[in-house]
Amino acid sequence: MNCEDLRDHYDLYAWDAAEEPERSEISAHLNRGCEVCVERMKRALETAALLGALAPPAEPSRKLRGRILASVGLEGRRVNPLFAWAAAAALLALLGVLVFVIRAERRYAEEALESRAALAVLYAPGTVEASFGGAQRQPPRGTVFVNPSEGVLLIASNLAPTAEDKTYEMWLIPKNAKPVAAGLFQSHTDGEAMHLRPGALDIASTAAVAVTIEDQAGAAQPTTTPLIVASLPASP
Amino acid sequence: MIFPIFAVYTNSDDGALIERLKRRDPHALAELYDRYGRLAYSLALRVVRDPAIAEDLVQETFLRVWNCVHSIDPRKNALGPWLLAIARNRAIDYLRSSAGRGRSVLVELDENDHAPLYRELEAGILMSDQLRRVKAAVDKLQPNLRAVMELAYFEGLSQSEMSAKMGQPLGTIKTWVRTALRSLRDELGVAAS
Repeated sequence: MNCEDLRDHYDLYAWDAAEEPERSEISAHLNRGCEVCVERMKRALETAALLGALAPPAEPSRKLRGRILASVGLEGRRVNPLFAWAAAAALLALLGVLVFVIRAERRYAEEALESRAALAVLYAPGTVEASFGGAQRQPPRGTVFVNPSEGVLLIASNLAPTAEDKTYEMWLIPKNAKPVAAGLFQSHTDGEAMHLRPGALDIASTAAVAVTIEDQAGAAQPTTTPLIVASLPASP
Repeated sequence: MIFPIFAVYTNSDDGALIERLKRRDPHALAELYDRYGRLAYSLALRVVRDPAIAEDLVQETFLRVWNCVHSIDPRKNALGPWLLAIARNRAIDYLRSSAGRGRSVLVELDENDHAPLYRELEAGILMSDQLRRVKAAVDKLQPNLRAVMELAYFEGLSQSEMSAKMGQPLGTIKTWVRTALRSLRDELGVAAS
């Protein structure tokens, strides 16, 4: 069958009400990417969605929302409110203590590791530094430290937290090549940020270190204008 | 206004909601339910005509979306049609199973073979203007044409099944279905090409 023969059957196919041989014919057309059939099926699916929205409006029970959230572990079943409050308070207190202890330990460990790596960049022989933002009225300000064997450390202030779905991304800008992604980071609520990209790099072929705002997953190449550009000093 | 419920569908910010669902934002599923829960329930109830079963089907629908949202492209923004298709498929599937009509192949249609079709539907298809037009088109249909369209869409009956149910020759049913669908397409301005 050609597409014209099938013209009156796309909606039925979309509703799973088509019969043979039209059902198999449309399926075959779609499976081989027939552009006419694909386009007609999209229209049929749109019509199906619209018809679905015409069902007489009805109100589900209030419990349904909680059931759905609970089914993915986001919200528990309702219990006696007084008991729930008491249990929640006790649990929160216990959790609070546990979370504080765990977070403190983790933070201490992470900070220790990060500090150790950052100190290596700061104090290892051969580190060069470049300041940025000093001449601007509303900067982020700060300094990047670049060590050929230890990596790049960025320390910034006045760097406002990004929107919820965005992140900062650091870039190494080679002299004659495309920017190279150097990791994602967020600033703290006080505007301070420290980001380390560990590992060796060739300072002589690196022109600058830059920072852009990108979508949360990061980008392969910068998609926004850099708000930090720290030009590295020319090699002697 | 046709139904007050339509007001929520003027919010076409489904792309951001899809992104948040993909990130497992705990509030995103609640927002998804607040946006489409009543509509999915209304559709499921229209098909199965049993509130408790309709709620079970809606729960399955949202779980399905939660588990498969990674396959939706937020830029294409077809969350509403996709969710409604799942709700309808689940409901028709239930109807067929309970009536001993065999298991539906609808799940294959929406979730495997032709998923890209759903991912590329027009953004905001559930906006009120389109809804008004399809409502007007359905309202204009003669009772027999409306009956076959509803039997096909809300009960998933084939033309042969409709013929048996309505006691009409198969040729007559096919003519009615063809006329009903052409009227709908004309009213919606769907290109005949």
